Amino acid sequence: MPEIRVTPLGAGQDVGRSCILVSIGGKNIMLDCGMHMGYNDDRRFPDFSYITQNGRLTEFLDCVIISHFHLDHCGALPYMSEMVGYDGPIYMTHPTKAICPILLEDFRKITVDKKGETNFFTSQMIKDCMKKVVPLNLHQTVQVDEELEIKAYYAGHVLGAAMVQIKVGSESVVYTGDYNMTPDRHLGAAWIDKCRPDLLISESTYATTIRDSKRCRERDFLKKVHETVERGGKVLIPVFALGRAQELCILLETFWERMNLKAPIYFSTGLTEKANHYYKLFITWTNQKIRKTFVQRNMFEFKHIKAFDRSYADNPGPMVVFATPGMLHAGQSLLIFKKWAGNEKNMVIMPGYCVQGTVGHKILNGQKKLEMEGRATLDVKLQVEYMSFSAHADAKGIMQLIRMAEPRNMLLVHGEAKKMEFLKDKIEQEFSISCYMPANGETTSIVTNPSVPVDISLNLLKREMALGGPLPDAKRPRTMHGTLIMKDDSLRLVSPEQALKELGLSEHQLRFTCRVLLHDPHSDTDTLGRIYTHLKSVLKSYSIQHVSDGTVIVESIVIKVTSSAEEPNLKVILLSWSYQIADSTDTKKKKKKSSFDL
Amino acid sequence: MDISSDESDDWFMESLNTYKDLHVFQLEHPTKVIEWTGDKNICVAGYTGARSEILELLLPLKLYAGENQGLCAERDFKVQHGGFSEEPIESLIHIPGTRCVVTSGSFSTTLQIWDIGGDDSDVIKKTGVINLKSTSAKGSKIAPGLTDEPAVLHGSCISEVQLTEIATGRVLYTVAKESSDSVSGLQFVNACVFLICASDGSLLMGDTRDPSTCHYPLEDSKSDLHWAFGLRTDGSQSEPSCCTVARLSSSGHMLLSDLRNVQRPFCQTQLNVQHNTSENDFLNVCWAPVLDRCLSVSGFDGTVHIYNTMNWSTEGQSPQPVFSHRGHEMSDEAKYSGSLPVVTIHSWHQSRPKTVLSAATDGSLHVWDWVDKITDR
Repeated sequence: MPEIRVTPLGAGQDVGRSCILVSIGGKNIMLDCGMHMGYNDDRRFPDFSYITQNGRLTEFLDCVIISHFHLDHCGALPYMSEMVGYDGPIYMTHPTKAICPILLEDFRKITVDKKGETNFFTSQMIKDCMKKVVPLNLHQTVQVDEELEIKAYYAGHVLGAAMVQIKVGSESVVYTGDYNMTPDRHLGAAWIDKCRPDLLISESTYATTIRDSKRCRERDFLKKVHETVERGGKVLIPVFALGRAQELCILLETFWERMNLKAPIYFSTGLTEKANHYYKLFITWTNQKIRKTFVQRNMFEFKHIKAFDRSYADNPGPMVVFATPGMLHAGQSLLIFKKWAGNEKNMVIMPGYCVQGTVGHKILNGQKKLEMEGRATLDVKLQVEYMSFSAHADAKGIMQLIRMAEPRNMLLVHGEAKKMEFLKDKIEQEFSISCYMPANGETTSIVTNPSVPVDISLNLLKREMALGGPLPDAKRPRTMHGTLIMKDDSLRLVSPEQALKELGLSEHQLRFTCRVLLHDPHSDTDTLGRIYTHLKSVLKSYSIQHVSDGTVIVESIVIKVTSSAEEPNLKVILLSWSYQIADSTDTKKKKKKSSFDL
Repeated sequence: MDISSDESDDWFMESLNTYKDLHVFQLEHPTKVIEWTGDKNICVAGYTGARSEILELLLPLKLYAGENQGLCAERDFKVQHGGFSEEPIESLIHIPGTRCVVTSGSFSTTLQIWDIGGDDSDVIKKTGVINLKSTSAKGSKIAPGLTDEPAVLHGSCISEVQLTEIATGRVLYTVAKESSDSVSGLQFVNACVFLICASDGSLLMGDTRDPSTCHYPLEDSKSDLHWAFGLRTDGSQSEPSCCTVARLSSSGHMLLSDLRNVQRPFCQTQLNVQHNTSENDFLNVCWAPVLDRCLSVSGFDGTVHIYNTMNWSTEGQSPQPVFSHRGHEMSDEAKYSGSLPVVTIHSWHQSRPKTVLSAATDGSLHVWDWVDKITDR
């Protein structure tokens, strides 16, 4: 049976890393190649031994597809391609291609330089890996090879995030990566057409949540900033250049305007340049509002927000500063943090996940004393706030996506089966489709029912219509006979004669004979005549001819009568017929029977 | 660069000062029940479709993080258990000390008994039914018994009110009063004493040890008004002498009575609310579990009003609420739908003094912690 096989790589119940293998139509695809951020050893890499025990992966994979730049989806890519070995194509959208190497390099620096790890990819490996990347545009079908094609759809979530449709012949799979169904200030909502894939694969990490509104998260953010500034404190917001930074700036700008606040807001110049550059490149990836704004003016030209100079950090009084990098692991944001950490009036707002080993990670775990270079300790007295702005689809979102794409089957990864039975029931009941939830390392096989398109020759079609009535009715399938010719990439159904002609073969006819002995004193001719008359009376619906050359023909069965040489009264009735379909077998049987009656 | 400065934005901006915490959620289907099943868990259920979902939700952990609230980013509800009901759910109650809930549906001939489930499965399963004598549009009103053996007090009209043991289906007590008045609400004061509020505002007090009940009709009963009640007790084994009952009419008329003297309300007042002429029974009045003498009111529109009854007297002046939650009217959904949502139900948090949960007809579910302008700051 044709089937699609899906295996999420990983062990047990661990979530936090995406790497899914899909086999479809004889093709093998790797979806995402994420790093598990919770482990310090080799468990953080996906276990590629599932694909092959040793050796390179190139011959086992037709392509690798990366959905977006978050490290839990692309963090292990250089390891996979350069240390394990893979030379085939790696597909991702343009923004992902631009941003991935930056994040990977940052991540590498933290892991190797700060934590002193050795089994890790190098800067050169990141570069070599990215050389294998083939960028994707939205809604554009890309032929990976003659049979495999892929198409990217907008996923929302972060800049450049895509959902991907993978198609081989008439079988298809859609992988969602991370997505969200509600638009926010800088990104739109995920969208896909009614592509009716055989299988829709989605993360289920947030499937059993009901998300608090974006507005309330923003409200909290503004409240914290406002409270700090009101008491004369300073707010540090470490951000990655793209995504949230811009959104939060817009939010603060509007708030400052409305509340007539005077405290200065700064962002570091490194942030501006990079962000502007990327937004210019990827303007089509943002939502309508941002696009309109950007067209009107440089999006970082705010009334209340100014470029930062490092000397400002020492200025007295309240202020808000956006600085990179986002996890406080180096650079300007760390410098500012060191200056402000000792004052409890100040605040640092972490707008996202921080990798282990970074200062960001430590303070989010409640650490109050940090060890800095040169054995100096830093007392963390300022207020630490963790705010999550990332947009994910919840249970409602998953239902909406299924409604949009209309898959025949659903597969949820990264959930605990016993905690998702309700969602499985819900999906199965509402959409009458099967919902699978494999554990990591477990393979799910989904049987597909692909239709195979075949061209039928006009002659054959006409012949069929003559036999059985009007053109084929999809509701009433009919069996028909013909010869299937599979040549190059085409499948054709033609009549046997035409097939023989095309193949240059001569037609052979098989004739069967049978002798029936009969005692009859009449002459040969008379006996034949009596047989003829008899058959005519019992086989009324068949065509029976008495031919002048001394044969009786019933349909295609020929009957001759001769006398035995030894005994003139012993007549030999020779029956001969060609190989035909079952209909005539009945005729033959009837004839045999009636001959006994004689 | 402008975010449209409409009323909704203003309200959100204002909320920085008017609320300590604010969480806004959108359920797939609206609920008219919010029932606590644990310190941090509530049950909600659909009432708009033929088939409804019952969900047990875990409240956002951020609310419980105390001093470490800043480090906790968990702002979402988690769906811990879910199940399907073949009927729209009008009422849902939790049986204290168990994982059992009972639901009643519109025009249903039975009450449904459910096991919410434990750690091994997230499916809410139906475990049985209780047969009813008759059906009603609003479904039977239900209340948990407060005895050790799980039981449910139920009835849609007064003469049919009975106490049924859940495990066996045995009828433990029947109200002996002949009355076809429809029940608006019922509740046990303690293990034996219960209170029934009829739709016309009259009260019945009964004791399961005594077949007769005391009936307290309203002095001045108007037929087109519908009444709801809220009982304030100081625990599950209260004496009637420590209990206060608030009755609220669909025109905003409020009566406060001491259970020692039900016949004579110690306070009567007219709230400044829009008269609710619709057939819905979203009328809701609750006493705050922690704040002294505070009660809350909803069901007239998309607002929840909180009053401090301490300063109410028997004079009929219209009191001002100490706080009004207008969040349900300010949602994006409300903007686009054309009709404003109505709050279907609200409930106070058991231990956090000023935290309230409220739900509305548009599927919104809010959790909010309001700021009292006078006492806070």
